[in-house]
Amino acid sequence: MSILQVSGLAKAYGGIRALEEVSFDIAGPGIYGLIGPNGAGKTTLFDAVAGTVKPDSGRVMLQGQDVTGWPSHRMARAGISRTFQECRVLAEESCLDNVLFAAQPKGLGASVRQLITRASGHRRHLREEAMRLLSMVRLQDYAHQPAALLSFGQRRLLEIVSTFISSPEVFLLDEPASGVNPALLVVLADFISAMYAERPRVFLVVEHNMEFIMSLAQDIIVMHQGRVLERGTPAQVQASPAVMEAYLG
Amino acid sequence: MGRSLLWVLGLLVLAALLSAPSWTAEQPYVLHMLVLMCIFAIPAVGLNLMLGYSGLVSLGHMGFAGLGAYTAAVLMVDARWSFWSALGAATIASGLAGVCIGLICFRFRGHFFMIVTLAFGLLLHAVMNNWDEVTRGAAGFAGIPRPRPLQWGDEVISFGPLPHFYYLALGLALLAFAVQYLVVRSDLGRILSAIRQDERLARSRGVDVLLYKTVVFALGSALAGVGGVLQVSFLRVAAPASFNMLESINTVLIVIVGGAGSLMGPALGALLYVGLPEWLRLANEWRLVIFGGLLVLITLFAPAGLAGLLSSLWRRLSPPRGGSS
Amino acid sequence: MGEVLLEQLINGLMMGSVYVLVALGMVLIYGVMHVVNFAHGVLFTLGGYLGYFFYHRVFDSYPLAIVLAVLSLAVIGVLLERGVFRPLTGNLRNQVIASLGLILFLENLVVALWGPNALQWKVATTEHWVQLGELRFSLHHLGIIVVTLLLVTALGLFLKYTRFGTAIRATSQSQEAAIVVGIPVRTVQWSSFALGCMLAGVGGALVGPLFLVFPQMGDVPLIKGLAGILLGGMGSVPGAVIGGMILGVTESVSTLFLPTDYRDSIAFMMMVAILLLRPQGLFGQRMRGED
Repeated sequence: MSILQVSGLAKAYGGIRALEEVSFDIAGPGIYGLIGPNGAGKTTLFDAVAGTVKPDSGRVMLQGQDVTGWPSHRMARAGISRTFQECRVLAEESCLDNVLFAAQPKGLGASVRQLITRASGHRRHLREEAMRLLSMVRLQDYAHQPAALLSFGQRRLLEIVSTFISSPEVFLLDEPASGVNPALLVVLADFISAMYAERPRVFLVVEHNMEFIMSLAQDIIVMHQGRVLERGTPAQVQASPAVMEAYLG
Repeated sequence: MGRSLLWVLGLLVLAALLSAPSWTAEQPYVLHMLVLMCIFAIPAVGLNLMLGYSGLVSLGHMGFAGLGAYTAAVLMVDARWSFWSALGAATIASGLAGVCIGLICFRFRGHFFMIVTLAFGLLLHAVMNNWDEVTRGAAGFAGIPRPRPLQWGDEVISFGPLPHFYYLALGLALLAFAVQYLVVRSDLGRILSAIRQDERLARSRGVDVLLYKTVVFALGSALAGVGGVLQVSFLRVAAPASFNMLESINTVLIVIVGGAGSLMGPALGALLYVGLPEWLRLANEWRLVIFGGLLVLITLFAPAGLAGLLSSLWRRLSPPRGGSS
Repeated sequence: MGEVLLEQLINGLMMGSVYVLVALGMVLIYGVMHVVNFAHGVLFTLGGYLGYFFYHRVFDSYPLAIVLAVLSLAVIGVLLERGVFRPLTGNLRNQVIASLGLILFLENLVVALWGPNALQWKVATTEHWVQLGELRFSLHHLGIIVVTLLLVTALGLFLKYTRFGTAIRATSQSQEAAIVVGIPVRTVQWSSFALGCMLAGVGGALVGPLFLVFPQMGDVPLIKGLAGILLGGMGSVPGAVIGGMILGVTESVSTLFLPTDYRDSIAFMMMVAILLLRPQGLFGQRMRGED
């Protein structure tokens, strides 16, 4: 049973068919890259898998369970979490609170129970883990500072680490390198690899930065005009004439 | 300085409030004003939870207060229910209305959301104003009783006298603020705050945004209902004009000027709203002119309201000890 | 029956004209600044009071009073745009709250200055009558319809055929594109705001002699204007005209079937219905929920 299985996914916006027919199978844990020229449908695919949009047809299966068309909050609870290309964090909250919030149980029952019992054990419990993760990305000194004070690159790391703490089965990273200082890209790539080493899950990374993704991912999926064009190792994909044509043509 | 002083101040204020009937014995109108402050503060707490903490700009809030008020009025006068049962029923009724109306409103964002809430506030007011058989229409619903006297051992406490009703009002207000505190400083409160800051992000972190918005709307409108019941029992009359669009705007004013998204905001706002004309010895119209102007100025220059101003003042006056906050 | 219907139709056209004036002002401001100006009702009220003031205190001429009131509203509009709305650009919530503050400020200022009671404003046109078959209408009634028609036509021509009018239309469609093309967006904003206020002022000055001049006289027109632009479509100028007219006529005709108490509720229910069934109104663009 594959961890993530996408079959026949299609999505049109008005007259524009963003996804024609997308199918692929991600059997087991790994860092997977999703690349393709502009307009290939990468963002729409991400949105469909994460629950941000509902596909017109096709199926998304998570460990054998049909999660097609589920809203994003249900997807998140089922184990598909994502980061955003524009990088979203809770700007008013401290870095620590950002991470703790991601780990906090979101069900209404749990929240009401906590409201009444005033239990804070779970937060104390997670604090240690949250601080450890912040140290991994060298943000421990900012633990009590509002996220608004961070630089863009630091916010990117905060977003990723917050998403990581909830331990998703499928971790969707939307252009993590975009907007990040080239000098920090090595840190970022190392961090993603370290996260993967700690918890081997499915990391699906959309990227435009070829150098970044080719050195990070083991398996690359290439999209073009709403379909999967090719799939293979970084070396195979980089040598493929079809891929080259898609980008240049 | 710092937190311990804040606690002491808080306790002093609480002590003053609890002993108010004795130090206002010479000037009963001050006690009357304190009752009014409680009556205005309670719906403001509800709106603060909705607008201040969750980011839901509801412009028809007093419609819910009116619904609660008239539900209780009809139950107490026509069906001869006791105040307490009527209060309970009215709270549930306004809470339910909040759920139903909220679910319709949440399909919208931005402007549209505000307009729908306004429209529902207007609709509720129109019903109060025109459904003569039940609400007695524009003329108002007179004859609303105070709560029936309570038996306490050998003592009989009636709610006719001002000090006795004051304790009822104060008790309900403190309850409202306690609820606000419990919600805000909890996981639920953190979720509401996340919804306000970035709804999309909250969703991607597993928050069922629609559900939580509905919960806060239910809570906020229930609180409005409590305020409404208290008001009409105090004044012994219910009038549609107390729950119209302008009153909803006044409630927004109380929340914003007091400090939206702060625990003390509704109290400060209500204090100013009721107290200012007395202190400045102004005619009613000028009070609202000043308030309108204040609302504009606060929005422009001090968006955190009075609570924000006071807390920056506090921070200026108390230098940090040892550097940590 | 036909006569009663005709009477209500003409009443509807008149009320519709008033709603159109309010709606037009609101849609201009919304198009250019993406803000629903909730204070539009009090600006209407100010039009009534200032018209009354100029008529009684300054000159005895109704047309002149209207012109002076409108010019005052223009000045007020510019002050409001520069002082209140522009500093809050980009923050919808605060702009709306500030406009609520303006409602309280202006409405109560009027009470403080002129008293809470309604004022009677007698003007010649309400005393002259026009005979239409069996029906009789005051010149004022018909005058409102005619003036609105003229203003709408003038505005339409202005927006379509003048350079500045085109600049306004361009800015409504896309502020970024307008900046790129070199349109002075700031100027377009404050002048559109002023224009919107002027239209509200005309409405108030026209309605004042007809009913009464009182502090809350703009509250209901605000809602009717809102309903009108929702029906017509939030960014659409022709929509505002058609929406306002449909609302006015529907309300008047409804008094033949429904108790008059509920006449105003038609607008409220229409607002909710439009938002639920067709949020973009008749002519607006489909919006995926503003954020």
